Amino acid sequence: MAGNTGDNAVMAQVSAGQVAQLAVLFERHHRALFRYFVSMNRDREAAEDLVQDVFFRILRYRASYNPARSFTAWMYQIARNAGLDQARKRKAEVVDIDTFADRRAELVSAAPGPEENLSRGQDLVLLQRALERLPEDKREILVLSRFQGMKHEEIAEVLGCEVGTVKVRVYRAIRALEQIYFALEKEKAS
Amino acid sequence: MTCEEAKSRMADYWGRSLAGEAEAAFSAHLASCESCRSEVSRVGALWQSLDLLPLEEPSGKVRDRFYEMLGAYRQGLASADAPVRRRWWTQPAWQRAAAAALLVAGLGLGYGLRGTSQPPAEVSQLREEVASMRQLVALSLLQQQSASERLKGVSWAYRAEPSDREVLEALVSAVNHDTNVNVRLAAVDALRRFASSPETRRAVVDALPGQTTPLVQVALIDLLVDFKERDAADVLRKLAADGQVNDGVRQQAQWALERLQ
Repeated sequence: MAGNTGDNAVMAQVSAGQVAQLAVLFERHHRALFRYFVSMNRDREAAEDLVQDVFFRILRYRASYNPARSFTAWMYQIARNAGLDQARKRKAEVVDIDTFADRRAELVSAAPGPEENLSRGQDLVLLQRALERLPEDKREILVLSRFQGMKHEEIAEVLGCEVGTVKVRVYRAIRALEQIYFALEKEKAS
Repeated sequence: MTCEEAKSRMADYWGRSLAGEAEAAFSAHLASCESCRSEVSRVGALWQSLDLLPLEEPSGKVRDRFYEMLGAYRQGLASADAPVRRRWWTQPAWQRAAAAALLVAGLGLGYGLRGTSQPPAEVSQLREEVASMRQLVALSLLQQQSASERLKGVSWAYRAEPSDREVLEALVSAVNHDTNVNVRLAAVDALRRFASSPETRRAVVDALPGQTTPLVQVALIDLLVDFKERDAADVLRKLAADGQVNDGVRQQAQWALERLQ
């Protein structure tokens, strides 16, 4: 079954000129990329633009792809750059934490209420809020490792650091999330 | 193992990527350290809860825009690949003269052809682009790992042109090799759209001996009867006589033989 063709091999085909094969990679990755951007910038519309931008950049820079490298890691490097470029463009637009919370509230409003979401003692609305309040670098590493299912080696490639550093950063990020979560829980109880 | 070392392994443990000696050393440390054991369990629960957060879904616009962009890029590449040579007819003076001549010729031609239903070139080009986009979506989805995505690919195959050989080949490949029976069945049904091609009929005849799932075998036999494919007689006869084959399939093969004779 052609579905077993790995990402690296498909990207090598794109790189060699079979640009139509990019559609295979789009179908495999566009949802995960969209979720990455929504987690990072909390703006659905901007996230959709960025997904488009990433695939355009992949086409543009397809000749520079090295098939020995992980396609996922390469794609997320491109995604980070696209996100940074967009953030620079929107530099003038300063969004404070309350606006973040409002935007995010719109996004999670479609989710079931907190009563239905209680699981293992965790309130998912509070968890979502805690994730939003996590500093960007910590949120990013959690999103890559937890939601994008990337291996520590791939994250190291994306972030340009050692694998050991990634492990420590993931640990610190989840501990920071825990602290924010408990602080929010206290706020809620008081 | 120290507590510090254990903390650097916790992410691996929660992500289930700890194995071998590292896992044994980590487990030994947990057995002897109440503080790390409690942390692994407490923070691990939070780690698991992240799975329960609602997943954001992009709107359908993302797919539309991507395929538009890809189509435009391919077209751009094709134009760039076309040889560009500056000949005498590309000089401005000649171009002006040619434009005037073409205008006159065009008016005359338009007058001569009035009332005929020839579609303008732009419409034909647009149709080609749409067909190419549909083909691309169908082929891409048929290559996905998720069976539900491949099923979507089969649905897109219905929108492809009946003469589209690439889509036909992808459907035949799905019938012969897809690991999911629902995808194989859907692909068999989609082959009806390509009934006019002798290749389709040959592919269905060839696919039958390789199938082991009765549902798919029966669907293929039905298709051969609908196609009135007399060349299938040998394959059907072998199937009807094969004691290893499901009884229902053998009966269906016998029935098909009678219908085709």
